[in-house]
Amino acid sequence: MHTTDWIVMLVTLLGIVAYGVWKTRNVNSTESYILGDRELKWYTIGLSIMATQASAITFLSTPGQAFDDGMRFAQFYFGLPIAMVILAVFVLPIFYRLKVYTAYEYLEQRFDLKVRRFTALLFLMGRGLAAGITIYAPAIILSIILDWNLDLTILLIGIVVICYTMFGGTTAVSQTQKTQMIVILSGIFIAFLYLIYSLPQDVSFGNAVGVAGKMGKLNIVDFEFDLSNKYNMWSALLGGTFLFLSYFGTDQSQVQRYLSGKTLTESRLGLMFNGIFKVPMQFMILFVGIMVFMFYQFEKPPVHFNPSNLKVLSETPGYDDQLDTYQGEFDKVFDEKQIEIRNLISAIDADDQSSITNAQGKLKRLNSQDSLIRSGVDGLIKNYSKEYDKKLDTEDNDYVFISYVTKYLPKGLVGLLLAVIFAAAMSSVASELSALASCTTVDFYKRGYGEEKSDRHYLNATKMFTLMWGCLALLFASTASMYDNLIEFVNIIGSLFYGTILGVFVVAFFMKKIGSNAVFAAAIIGEVAVVSIFTLGKLGYFNLPYLYLNLIGCLIVVLLSLLFQQFNNPPAHDKNKDGILDA
Amino acid sequence: MEAKKPEETFIDAPPPIMGSWKRLYLFVLILHTLLIFVFYLFTKAYS
Repeated sequence: MHTTDWIVMLVTLLGIVAYGVWKTRNVNSTESYILGDRELKWYTIGLSIMATQASAITFLSTPGQAFDDGMRFAQFYFGLPIAMVILAVFVLPIFYRLKVYTAYEYLEQRFDLKVRRFTALLFLMGRGLAAGITIYAPAIILSIILDWNLDLTILLIGIVVICYTMFGGTTAVSQTQKTQMIVILSGIFIAFLYLIYSLPQDVSFGNAVGVAGKMGKLNIVDFEFDLSNKYNMWSALLGGTFLFLSYFGTDQSQVQRYLSGKTLTESRLGLMFNGIFKVPMQFMILFVGIMVFMFYQFEKPPVHFNPSNLKVLSETPGYDDQLDTYQGEFDKVFDEKQIEIRNLISAIDADDQSSITNAQGKLKRLNSQDSLIRSGVDGLIKNYSKEYDKKLDTEDNDYVFISYVTKYLPKGLVGLLLAVIFAAAMSSVASELSALASCTTVDFYKRGYGEEKSDRHYLNATKMFTLMWGCLALLFASTASMYDNLIEFVNIIGSLFYGTILGVFVVAFFMKKIGSNAVFAAAIIGEVAVVSIFTLGKLGYFNLPYLYLNLIGCLIVVLLSLLFQQFNNPPAHDKNKDGILDA
Repeated sequence: MEAKKPEETFIDAPPPIMGSWKRLYLFVLILHTLLIFVFYLFTKAYS
């Protein structure tokens, strides 16, 4: 990496952290540490919510996803604005009226302590494990691309985040996230402009978009109802809305963001901000991926984007010559594609439908050959892994964007884009650590052991819990290499706990007759059932996609709560009916 | 822990624009619908 890039990256990152620390120099109470004295304005809340959700892997993976699969992933976010409105109408007023510090505190007021603790424990387990992956996932990619030591990359991300989160609590998190999001959005937009600038002189932006469309990459909306299709309009509106209700309504790392609002109005506006800008932001990131795809139609791409895998193959006798053969075939197909893409551009310009169809057909055939060659390289990697008993991941989409950034962007911009990725990693981890520490202090430590201690005591305790969770996340990140697919692993962890948590909150908000004993028993059975179903699936008894665990967990808790309440009449616990149910 | 009184933050005031929350929510949802429609047109135009 060039010195200019180092300077840009370090100045940007240190500037963000220094600004956050400076803005939080007066944090001296538990309320200011956990809820930022409830002083945040709507735009800070909105940007903070967006920054928490958008981790580094979002900026590494999403363009790669568009490169490989087109724009249809944008539909995944279509349920988000609906979830924002539902939360603003039903959930926010309740949390504000009860003046809670954590989402789980509300469950004690609605049910009792055991339901609160059980749900908080599920959150701590799920989010605690995920925090390690949030650090590890970008670290592994950045360390390979930049040829840095993995452990040092993990430490670089982790230690900076732990320091400023521990120092300034949630305000430091929100203030840094505000500047992080500004840097992230600016960086992505600059990369987009540079991609347009990098197109060949005889290819306009309109030509590039036209060709991408004809190559099936601009397929944003799909109205066909198909259960086997992960991303279509219906899975987005049905499944996505529930997923986002669960994530934004019950995950403390998000709840803490909007509970820091100065007033209910500011928090609601923050959610609306997220509802309006999140989908266009994801569209923008995906579109950058499309432009990277178009860039590589004119600039020869590598046959495989993970340089570490290519290095291993090219240095291993028996594999090196096979890789060369694949590379030769790949280059030949690339040269043929050049001719057909230009034919397609001419046909589009002339609006000649038969020539368009003809060029499309030829490009489709060449793209199939491309895929076959890439699959051949994947096969080589698998064979190598088997022969030498070393785990190499064949998936290379996550490396597409970062490879482009480090190889083709000019000096200075590389540093800025790397700062974007580090900033995104830090923003998500900071929210997670802050939420984990708040939940541990408020829902366990204070509630169980030291109610009578001073505010200073709880402030110091929360700082220590931040440090503890940070160290655990680092420890987990350093052992995460044993998991094959990191993103899937994070989602599986979430799916194991989110369904039950959502079920408890659905009962709490909408089923006023159900008491604590019924929901507690239902939640335990629900969690055991989810883990059992997942384990049986892993053992090969049946094949159930893990995303359904969210729905199953939620349904089991709701249905069993209704059933158990029939045997537990009158409601075991409804002490706060006014505050919660009639909100 | 010292907490502010609930009424300090729980002010169910109307939003600064559009006059009522109902209208603002409707605006967000209509905007979202329009965005999906634009995406649909975009998909159709370039497919």
